[in-house]
Amino acid sequence: MGQPELDTSQLLKGVLDLAVLAVLAEADSYGYDVVRRLRENGLDHVGDASVYGTLRRLFQAGALNSYVVPSDEGPHRKYYGLNPRGRKALDQSAHAWASFSKALNHLLNGRSNGHDH
Amino acid sequence: MTTDDQASDVARYAAAVRAAVSDLPRHQSEALLEDLEDHLREIAAEAGAPLTERLGPPEQYAQELRAAYGAESGKVQREPALGYLQRALGSVTSSAWYQQLRAFLPELRPAWWVLRAYLVVLILTAALSPGYNLHPIPNPFSSRGLLETLATIGAVLFSIRLGRRSHPLPPGRRRLAIGANVVIALLALPVLASMGTFPSFAMVESGAPEQSSDFASPFSLGGVTNVFPYSNDGKPLTDVLLYDQEGRPLTLARDPGRMTDYPIGADGQPITNAYPLNQRRLDGTPDLQPRVAIPPWPAATLPASPTASPTPSPAR
Repeated sequence: MGQPELDTSQLLKGVLDLAVLAVLAEADSYGYDVVRRLRENGLDHVGDASVYGTLRRLFQAGALNSYVVPSDEGPHRKYYGLNPRGRKALDQSAHAWASFSKALNHLLNGRSNGHDH
Repeated sequence: MTTDDQASDVARYAAAVRAAVSDLPRHQSEALLEDLEDHLREIAAEAGAPLTERLGPPEQYAQELRAAYGAESGKVQREPALGYLQRALGSVTSSAWYQQLRAFLPELRPAWWVLRAYLVVLILTAALSPGYNLHPIPNPFSSRGLLETLATIGAVLFSIRLGRRSHPLPPGRRRLAIGANVVIALLALPVLASMGTFPSFAMVESGAPEQSSDFASPFSLGGVTNVFPYSNDGKPLTDVLLYDQEGRPLTLARDPGRMTDYPIGADGQPITNAYPLNQRRLDGTPDLQPRVAIPPWPAATLPASPTASPTPSPAR
C-alpha cells in the first residue's frame, strides 16, 4: 500500500457531534475545556474552531443548555451541558456509532485474518 | 504578552473572523459568534502566544467554524436593500474600532452604577415633591439637601452592590434588569430637562409673557393692570407718578387683553408709571372709567377693579 494513512480530520468530522456530546455527558464544560478534554482523550487533531462551531450548532439545535459562570481571573465562561434532548441525541448517535464501528471492525478483522502483509 | 496585548490580539482576531463570516445572515452569524471573544480570550490566556500562532489565520478559523456549524456559505438569499444594510452594519460591527469600543464599554459599568443611583434619587425627589426646586447637587446644609445627599449615597452603595453581584443572571432576570436600567435612563430625561428651566418658571408666574427691557421690572398685583388714583375729595387724578420704597418707578405687568399707550418722556423713553394708564381693549370695546363711591374721609379708599363691573362696591 502506498499511503495507508487515513485523514483523521475527515473521520472526525462525522463523529465530532458524538464526541462533544460524550464529553458533555461526563460533565458540563466550556468551549476551550471541551477542546482540551477531547485532546486528552486522544483526539489530537480536533480543531478549536470545529469544536466551538459544533457547540454553537448543538446549542442552536436545542440539544444543550448553557449558562455563564464568572471567573475571578480571565473571562466569564459559558458552560454547556446536555439537556434531555441532548442526552437522547447522544444515545441515538452512540447506538449508530456502535453498529457502524462493529461493522467496520468486522470488515477489518476479516481482512486481517484473510491476507496479512 | 501583556494582558493589554492579549485583549487587542483577541479583538483583532475576532474582528477578522466576524468579517470572514459577514456574508452569513445576521441571525446566523450572531448565533454562531455570540461568545467568540470570551472563547478566544480563554485560548489567549492559556496559550500566551499570538492567536494566529495557535489557531492559524482567522480566515481559516472562520472557514472551519462555518463548516462545523453547518452554515451555508455564499448562497445567501435576502432582500438586496436589506442585504446591503446588513453588510454595512456587519462592516461596522466587525471594524477594529467598534470591537475596541465593545471591549471597552464593560469597563464603564461601575460609572453607570453610580450614575443610575444618582438619577433614581433625582427622579424620586421630583416625583415626591412636585414644585421643589431641583438642583444638580443638593445643598447638604439644608435639611432637605442633606436628606437628598444621604439618599444618594445610600443608593450609590446599594447600586454598586447590586451591579457587582448580578453578573451571571439567568436570561429572564437579565432582560428584566436591562429593562429597569433603560426605564431609569428614560425617566431621568424629563427630570433633567426640567431641572434647567424650573427656576425661571418659578420667578415669572404672572400673566406678562414678555416685557421689553426698556421698561422697569414689572410687578404683578393680583390681577391689577391699571391704577386709578383719586384725590381725597373724590376727583379722579391723571398722570400720577407712582414709585416704590426704593424710588423705582412702579410699573404694572402688562395686561395681555389690552393695549397700553405710555406717554413718552423728555428722554424719548416711555413713562410706564404714570397712572391711570391709557388702555384700550384689544377687541375694541372701550374701557369704562370706574365709578367710585368715595367713603367719608379718613377711611381709606381703594378704586375698584376697572374691568369687573361698572358699579363696584368700595372696599372696607
